[in-house]
Amino acid sequence: MPINGNADPALLTRYAPTMSSLDTEALTLPDVKVLQVIYEIDDSVMAELLPPALHPTIPPTMHVIGLRADDGPLGAFTVAIVRVGCRAAVRPRGLPTRAVCTEGEAATALEERWGFPITIGEPVLRERYDRQSIEVNDGNVTVLSAQLVDPVPIGNGDLLYTAGMHVATVEREGETRPWLVQVDPEFEVSRADRGSAQIDAFDSNFWDAPDLRPVYPIVASYTTANITLPKIRYICDPMQPAISGTVAL
Amino acid sequence: MKFGIFYEISVPRPWENDIEHEVYHRCLEQVRVADEVGFHSVWAVEHHFLEEYSHCSAPELFLTACAMQTKQIRVGHGIVVCVPQFNHPIRAAERAAVLDILSDGRLEFGTGRSATWTELGGMDANPDETKETWDEYTRTIPQMWTNERYGYEGRAFRMPTRAVLPKPYQKPHPPMWVAVSSPGTEIDAAERGMGSLGLTFGGFAEQEEKVNRYRSRIRDCEPAGLFVNERVATVNFLYCHPDNETGIKTGSRLTGSFGYLAAQLLPVREVHPTRSYPNPGLLAATRQQAAQNPGEGVSAPEGVCIGNPDRLVEEIKKWESCGVDQINFLLNALETIPQEEVLDSLRLFGEEVMPHFADDKPATTSEPRELAATVAAGD
Repeated sequence: MPINGNADPALLTRYAPTMSSLDTEALTLPDVKVLQVIYEIDDSVMAELLPPALHPTIPPTMHVIGLRADDGPLGAFTVAIVRVGCRAAVRPRGLPTRAVCTEGEAATALEERWGFPITIGEPVLRERYDRQSIEVNDGNVTVLSAQLVDPVPIGNGDLLYTAGMHVATVEREGETRPWLVQVDPEFEVSRADRGSAQIDAFDSNFWDAPDLRPVYPIVASYTTANITLPKIRYICDPMQPAISGTVAL
Repeated sequence: MKFGIFYEISVPRPWENDIEHEVYHRCLEQVRVADEVGFHSVWAVEHHFLEEYSHCSAPELFLTACAMQTKQIRVGHGIVVCVPQFNHPIRAAERAAVLDILSDGRLEFGTGRSATWTELGGMDANPDETKETWDEYTRTIPQMWTNERYGYEGRAFRMPTRAVLPKPYQKPHPPMWVAVSSPGTEIDAAERGMGSLGLTFGGFAEQEEKVNRYRSRIRDCEPAGLFVNERVATVNFLYCHPDNETGIKTGSRLTGSFGYLAAQLLPVREVHPTRSYPNPGLLAATRQQAAQNPGEGVSAPEGVCIGNPDRLVEEIKKWESCGVDQINFLLNALETIPQEEVLDSLRLFGEEVMPHFADDKPATTSEPRELAATVAAGD
């Protein structure tokens, strides 16, 4: 049967937020710029990056995602997210290892209401005619620099974004413990480009994904979209296969 | 209604103790039994890098072995990947012709283009180009087979005039098929006068719509080959057991394992947005089925051929009423079902199900030219 994750649970929960309630209402963020850079990763550590509930894809992948909202219900913000591509049973998913967000209402909401593993920082999403990029610095060190190069327009319906499985400490039914929280935003895309993927800097330790190494570019996309962050519908025990450990709320 | 068997050749981990050797030889034993029982054809996929799901990367070799060990069953490429990084079109034409000769004219030639990044990325092929290259292959390969010499200047390849040898045994050439996984591909098959080789596990209503679209469009087709192969095949699972509950329970393990494996691979559409792959394709379809049927409990999804002979007859008659000409059965995945049970299932199917579908006469090997003429006339 497929390879299961075997990540150290302590490592998985290092940046995991606490969600005091799973009763989150959906929220739409208008006209968000979305950069997604997808790479194949070194397969020797693919199982160590995921909890037992999840399987690595064949081949294993990582998603670098940059979001920038210039306005909207959470105000202006930028967030950079690193995810490991995976499967929850038969469903395509991504497991965020860490996210860096500008300080403000958005950082708090993303962390507390949808379980993003947020660290406050200064990610920068840049839009040029020949490329779009996301960059994150930790002090004087660039810990992430990823780009879409040579954008060409594609159909708004050509893109597929996969849902996230966010590790969060959840207080539920009198017990506080880590769960995987399924976050499946809806994307209403109004403009989309595709181009070559390029990662120029990536510090796997900073992103809480030891030994994760991007090795082969797949593709990058850049869109403008209305993103609806969902009401939480499912959680999953990170230590059990998703097919048996998933709980509908 | 004709019946075939269909191989992905799924090999479970750990890949040690000669497991691949064992699985391949079990498949060959199944093919020999299927031939004796009276199945019409054996099909083998071409897949690369699909861990556990399919270790069938050289189907022409497997099918040659099948042909050498059997007398009547036809051998089907299901399919040849028509992308230059996988197969040069001249080599595809040559290999198919040799297989047709060695099998005494029993080849069915399926064409397709792959739907996973796992494979296309691994071969460094551009997903944007695969529809175009497939189209080019389907037009040029029949020309290579039927012209003494042939030259071509095109998008995917070019060749000065040469004799592509040998020529197929069946005249004018083997029947050609198109892999149909995404909705709408049946139209591609119809417009080119090729058989529709269904590779997804949809329900009756979906299949009936596809068949109607196919039959309607093929009337005005421009054949890619030298004749029209108007046939609709679909794929299914097979586990036949005297006890219905046991049959469904065991068969559900097969369907669940297959779908679960398929879901771990990367469809092109998931990671590489392109108009060339507007739908997730085969893998998503199998994933969807697995989700509906995770291998627990004793209910069988609509149309899935698991259970006792009575249930299978009932389900197959429904497929027949949808206009399906042939069903190709997957027999195992991950070696979930022990070999003896697979063989018993095949034999029981032959004894108690096949007789209900009287027109399922095995294809002849002694009169390939006559067979080709029959196919040319619309079968």
